[in-house]
Amino acid sequence: MTAFILMTGLSVSGQNGIATTSKKTFSRTTTISQKINAHPSIVWTLLSNADDYARWNSTIISIEGQIEEGEKIRLKSTLAPNRTFKLKIKEMKPHELLIWGDAMGKRTFRLTEEQEGTRFTMTERIGSVMFPLFAGKIPSFDEAFEQFTADLKKEAEAISQVQ
Amino acid sequence: MNQEEFTALFSEIRPQLKSYILRLTASVPDTEDLVQDTWIKSSRNLTSFRGDSSLKTWIFTIASNLVKDHQRKWKRWPENVTDICKEAAMQNPQHFQEAMQIVQSSQYAQFEIKEHIAFCFTCIAKSLPLEQHLCILLKEVHNFKIKEMATILDTTEPLVKYHLHAARKKMIEIFDGRCALINQEGVCHQCTEINGIFNPKQDTQQELMKIRMVRDAEKKDKEHLLDLRMEVLREIDPFTSSAHELQLHHLEHNRRVMESHLENKE
Repeated sequence: MTAFILMTGLSVSGQNGIATTSKKTFSRTTTISQKINAHPSIVWTLLSNADDYARWNSTIISIEGQIEEGEKIRLKSTLAPNRTFKLKIKEMKPHELLIWGDAMGKRTFRLTEEQEGTRFTMTERIGSVMFPLFAGKIPSFDEAFEQFTADLKKEAEAISQVQ
Repeated sequence: MNQEEFTALFSEIRPQLKSYILRLTASVPDTEDLVQDTWIKSSRNLTSFRGDSSLKTWIFTIASNLVKDHQRKWKRWPENVTDICKEAAMQNPQHFQEAMQIVQSSQYAQFEIKEHIAFCFTCIAKSLPLEQHLCILLKEVHNFKIKEMATILDTTEPLVKYHLHAARKKMIEIFDGRCALINQEGVCHQCTEINGIFNPKQDTQQELMKIRMVRDAEKKDKEHLLDLRMEVLREIDPFTSSAHELQLHHLEHNRRVMESHLENKE
């Protein structure tokens, strides 16, 4: 049930732009969900255009590479500005689903069309058998998730208003 | 619509089409070829024009497809194109000699800052991804509606909105950082420098105050300043303006410099 909730973003917690994190011995999962008043194709374009992220998303310093299934990207975020995360685009269903990750973690972006807009859900699960050893050193994602989502909502809704 | 009616309507649209294609390709010979190709393709396929859109939209669709095919082989220009081209011009005395000859011999070489503003946009907009470049010109210069642009570019309205929005944001950011006309800390003064060369007796400050974008710069509304920049573009036909021979010579110089610069970077 927990996995279903996390995948679909249907849990009560994590909705309306507030991130929630659940911790287990070998993993940690952060999720957030937000209604965006813009067509899924606008939200999708923002999420799948690597070159443009830094312009609108204040949590991303840069993304190099193409966001295409099977491709690898190099991501720098404000959460760990000195690190470059080498991530693989694991799955893409245009306007619906984007998953990227590495051996340690997996981030899932899911879009669902709602009346006059889009339900955006973002989940990141990190974990492994070694997770308990370094769990304390990994900062909370909550604030960055909320900022990412707020930036996405603001940008997508601004685009939606273009006449 | 018969061929005669089509020919008359195409002739009406031709000047707009030429300026659109020139601002996309930055090449007069390529523009002439692409306008001719658009004419051939549209007149041959006239029977397939069903009137679902206006004739202008239909012709711009054909032209945009030809431009997209044509531009695929060329790399996009860098944002600092005018710096690179200025440096190349400084090292090429022949370029200035030719320009001075044009000034002395042509009645269409009366340098105006306004024209250089439009010229500068043409060069810098070539740093945008092609889809964004197409969108900003179609909307801001040629007044197409979002729905018509989606038809012209064979895409969806949300995607057109995205490209247009992203193009505007990018152009605002670049000009805010570069253009000394709208930002005192802007690094580029080329339009006023060149005005000093071609119009040495002119009071440059007085000339600048004739331009609304410069007058409104203090308000610091960046969206508004881009709108005013686009207004300058709408007012200027790069093939018939009062300094078009000079500006086209300048554009050809920049295009050659860019081709060589991008080739050397490979």
